[in-house]
Amino acid sequence: MSEIYTLIEHRQGEIRDISFELLSCGRKLAEKTNSNLTALILGHNTENLVGKIKSQAHRILVIDSEVFKDYNSESYQLALSDIIKKANPFITLMGHTAFGMDLCPALATQLEIPFTTDCLDIDVVDNKITVTRQVYDGKLNAKIAVRDNPSYLFTVRAGCFLAEESDLKTEIANIDTSVTEPDYRKFVEYIETPAGDVDITKSDVVIGIGRGIKEQENLAMVEEFADAIGGVVACSRPIVDADWLPKDRQVGSSGKTIKPKLYIAVGISGAFQHVSGMKGAETIIAINKDPNAPIFNEADYGIADDLFKVVPVLKEKVMELK
Amino acid sequence: MDIIVCIKRVPQTAEADVTIDYTGKEIEKDRLSFDMNESDSYALEEAVLLKEKFGGEITVISLGHQDTEDTLRIALAKGADNAIRIKAEDFDELDGYKTAQIIKASISDLNFDLIFTGCIATDDAYSQVGVTLAELLDIPHASLVIFIDTSEKRAHVHRELEGGLMEHLDISLPALCTIQTGINEPRYASLIAIRRAAKKEIKVLGKEEIKDENILLNTQIEELFIPPKTKEVEFLTGSPGESAGKLANIFKEKGLI
Amino acid sequence: MNFELTNDQKMLQSEVRKFAENELAPLAPEIDISGEFPKESIKKLAELGLLGIFIPEKYGGSEFDFVSLAIAIEEISRACASTGVIVAVNNSLCGYPILQFGTEKQKQKYLPLLSSGEKIGAIGITEPNAGSDVASLESTAVLDGDHYILNGAKRFITNGTEAGIFIVFAYTNKELKHKGISAFIVDRDTPGFSLGNHENLMGIRATGNCELIFEDCKIPKENLLGEEGQGFYICMNTLDVSRIDIGAQAVGISQAALDEAVKYSKERVAFGKPICKFEMIQNMLAEMATQIHAARMLVYYSAWCKDAGIKRFSKEAAMAKYYAANIAVDVTRKAVQIFGGYGYSKDYTVERLYRDAKILELYEGTSEIQKVVIASELLR
Ligand SMILES: Cc1cc2nc3c(=O)[nH]c(=O)nc-3n(C[C@H](O)[C@H](O)[C@H](O)COP(=O)(O)OP(=O)(O)OC[C@H]3O[C@@H](n4cnc5c(N)ncnc54)[C@H](O)[C@@H]3O)c2cc1C
Ligand SMILES: Cc1cc2nc3c(=O)[nH]c(=O)nc-3n(C[C@H](O)[C@H](O)[C@H](O)COP(=O)(O)OP(=O)(O)OC[C@H]3O[C@@H](n4cnc5c(N)ncnc54)[C@H](O)[C@@H]3O)c2cc1C
Repeated sequence: MSEIYTLIEHRQGEIRDISFELLSCGRKLAEKTNSNLTALILGHNTENLVGKIKSQAHRILVIDSEVFKDYNSESYQLALSDIIKKANPFITLMGHTAFGMDLCPALATQLEIPFTTDCLDIDVVDNKITVTRQVYDGKLNAKIAVRDNPSYLFTVRAGCFLAEESDLKTEIANIDTSVTEPDYRKFVEYIETPAGDVDITKSDVVIGIGRGIKEQENLAMVEEFADAIGGVVACSRPIVDADWLPKDRQVGSSGKTIKPKLYIAVGISGAFQHVSGMKGAETIIAINKDPNAPIFNEADYGIADDLFKVVPVLKEKVMELK
Repeated sequence: MDIIVCIKRVPQTAEADVTIDYTGKEIEKDRLSFDMNESDSYALEEAVLLKEKFGGEITVISLGHQDTEDTLRIALAKGADNAIRIKAEDFDELDGYKTAQIIKASISDLNFDLIFTGCIATDDAYSQVGVTLAELLDIPHASLVIFIDTSEKRAHVHRELEGGLMEHLDISLPALCTIQTGINEPRYASLIAIRRAAKKEIKVLGKEEIKDENILLNTQIEELFIPPKTKEVEFLTGSPGESAGKLANIFKEKGLI
Repeated sequence: MNFELTNDQKMLQSEVRKFAENELAPLAPEIDISGEFPKESIKKLAELGLLGIFIPEKYGGSEFDFVSLAIAIEEISRACASTGVIVAVNNSLCGYPILQFGTEKQKQKYLPLLSSGEKIGAIGITEPNAGSDVASLESTAVLDGDHYILNGAKRFITNGTEAGIFIVFAYTNKELKHKGISAFIVDRDTPGFSLGNHENLMGIRATGNCELIFEDCKIPKENLLGEEGQGFYICMNTLDVSRIDIGAQAVGISQAALDEAVKYSKERVAFGKPICKFEMIQNMLAEMATQIHAARMLVYYSAWCKDAGIKRFSKEAAMAKYYAANIAVDVTRKAVQIFGGYGYSKDYTVERLYRDAKILELYEGTSEIQKVVIASELLR
């Protein structure tokens, strides 16, 4: 029977959400291809981690060693290349995350197996694989055919598969390893973003500003609106890149994940890295002059107009109604 | 310190109308403007900053069509010393893997301490070329790098993870870093630098020069399509006054104000 | 014949466009309202070498040609017409006459200051009672030992409030009519030189436009530009070059208006369809695009004449400036028309562009004066 492998991602002792999504995706693929699903955990003191994903796969393969406590693509690659070469699973999945992006291309290249990244969906028909990806700033999707091979490696975008319960009978196996951290790439430490004066995860109303704001001086206009509606100002990544707001105001995959009652995206295009941080908001509003901006796919209400015209009036209207 | 920077010329689509062409596999490009990929411009700037500190030479390399030479020249004006264009017209369809193999073959006789690429190209969004290239060259890599402090032999780098967390690594050179936006502030080229760069020669490599016979394509585009709507947005129309008024009423109804 | 830009022109175009879009366009609406001179932008433009575009490198300039000058002014003006003319004046109306007519000492002293933006340049021709008719100017400069004593007033001087270096025209000998006019390089801190009223303009509002007042202003003898009596010639020769700039500014403003109009016409719906589907709208867009293209060609051609070393291109420069100014007013008017009522609102860029465009028909020789120049060349 063929095998689907999913690599479990964890950090600082916690399994990351993407891992549960990958398990969902893996189960779907396993069902479709009549395969077994194996979850791979590389870590240290893994009992806790294993417990969290039990019943989610047919088998959990555990490689427990001090060296895997923190992710390091090079030591992971040393271990995984061995395992995959031996087992030759049909498909190996990992998240399209800082972890998967760093590991997948190198591992697949070493193993000389076809791979692709940032898959929204993976379809298998008669052992032929097509994946769906997003291109051109999220404005289009692409169906991609993958070269024929007995084994594949893919990274899957967060948020594309729903984490679901399951009650598979799970067999647990351990593999020993002699891998040590190579001298050419050493993990030193994690560094946290220093916390600022505002915690955007705690506010019911968050106004997110993006590159459409054009320059730092215009922040004042949004701050005034935020004051009027009783919310806080957060932002997309380019605003942090430009040093207009501190890192702890950034919403998205490399920033914060927020779940406010109301999120208002102002001049934000809606890249998935941003959306993944705010799609849990109860009500989402988008103000963007481009009616085809992907953000409108996420919004409940949209205004396709110039933010500089809308926001000041909106402030006035809100003040009137308050 | 010698540095190779891989750059790509990409259409600027964030604020433009993107339409699919008659083949169904490509977009209409004639109305779009093109520029250096965003994270590549940070990669180039980082290389220039290191060159200013340590000396050495920067070589920029791009697999692209003729007009890519314009982008390479801008890179020369911003501080690169040499530029290489690999003729995309010689290589049919590309993906990240194939691109990395071709780049590997074309830099085989170059000396380098570091290779920088952008962490993602905004057109095909693969995030593959850098890490693949490192593996093909058998050198260590770090992706999504937002800080570099390097000596001649080793580099301390910070990788950006999720949720605002960073990972501090210590890697040996030669190494490859894929550079994330925000690591620095890319400069504009001055006119004098442009004038000097305009005269510089760009080395052009074609299929004949790249001797690797076994270059493989992993993936092929079958079709492009408009993403299905996941959620039906309700557009509030009218003048800014009208649409804003409607929105304020919605806030009120929902008890948000 | 070759219509293609050279490598360095193409690069200059793409880099200046990017700079203008990112750094200048966002400020344009704000400084239009406040009238505040964009000091920070000018500093950045100086760093890039845009304040000494054709000035030789040995004087701190970028040593590009005049076609490049036109390209740069077009791109800057497309984002911000005020900034466009500030740069144009610094380059062509102050830098150029010094480069062309200055002594080696004057060039070494003043051109690096202008190219680096350390001092901004301005030019004072116009007076309260002398505009189109330059020869009727009333300012006088009388030689007294080592100094000329300058008396008079200048009006409508672009960059006036910010400039450190002024080219000023005055009579050294009234009897000789226009052959008695001389040109001077006047430092801002010269005793007897002060600024008058700040103009409250209809468009290009952030250009530091003001009056200059000279009361027994003592100008060192060595600041005479060219020879005594050469002033009128210097003035006309300089205007030939600066008309390239103003033509380019017109093309930039027009292009911005067309870009806005095309976008809006696709978005605005009336009678159940986007207004761009109406033939009368298409008619306007087609005319605008053609007018802009023709103007750009005239501007490039006059710049090319200068680059090719053609001595007399007054007619070509006047044609470029006249035509480009004329179509800029028409193109921006059409853009406002396409926007309907919204085009008349300060909320939309085309309102500013329409106001900005009007100056093109007035300064550096009104349209009537351009036609006088063209006709007199024909009838020579
Ligand atoms: C590994 C990785 C991690 C990342 N993490 C994050 C993250 O955590 N958070 C994040 O946000 N991004 C992240 N990004 C970046 C992300 O891919 C996008 O580049 C970014 O989100 C784009 O920001 P934006 O929408 O503000 O800018 P753009 O994409 O440039 O969009 C600007 C929008 O503003 C609109 N606009 C312009 N002017 C106006 C106006 N006057 N009125 C109205 N609308 C206007 C435009 O139509 C456009 O849609 C990450 C990228 C990578 C590769
Ligand atoms: C915003 C702005 C910036 C300026 N910047 C500068 C500057 O930096 N330096 C500077 O020296 N000046 C500057 N000027 C002045 C400008 O160049 C003059 O306003 C212009 O030359 C016209 O002169 P005038 O205003 O005195 O009009 P007039 O000469 O009084 O003309 C009035 C009208 O009569 C017409 N007319 C005049 N003579 C003839 C003729 N022979 N045949 C047909 N019609 C004729 C004109 O075309 C015009 O329509 C600026 C003006 C403005 C408004």
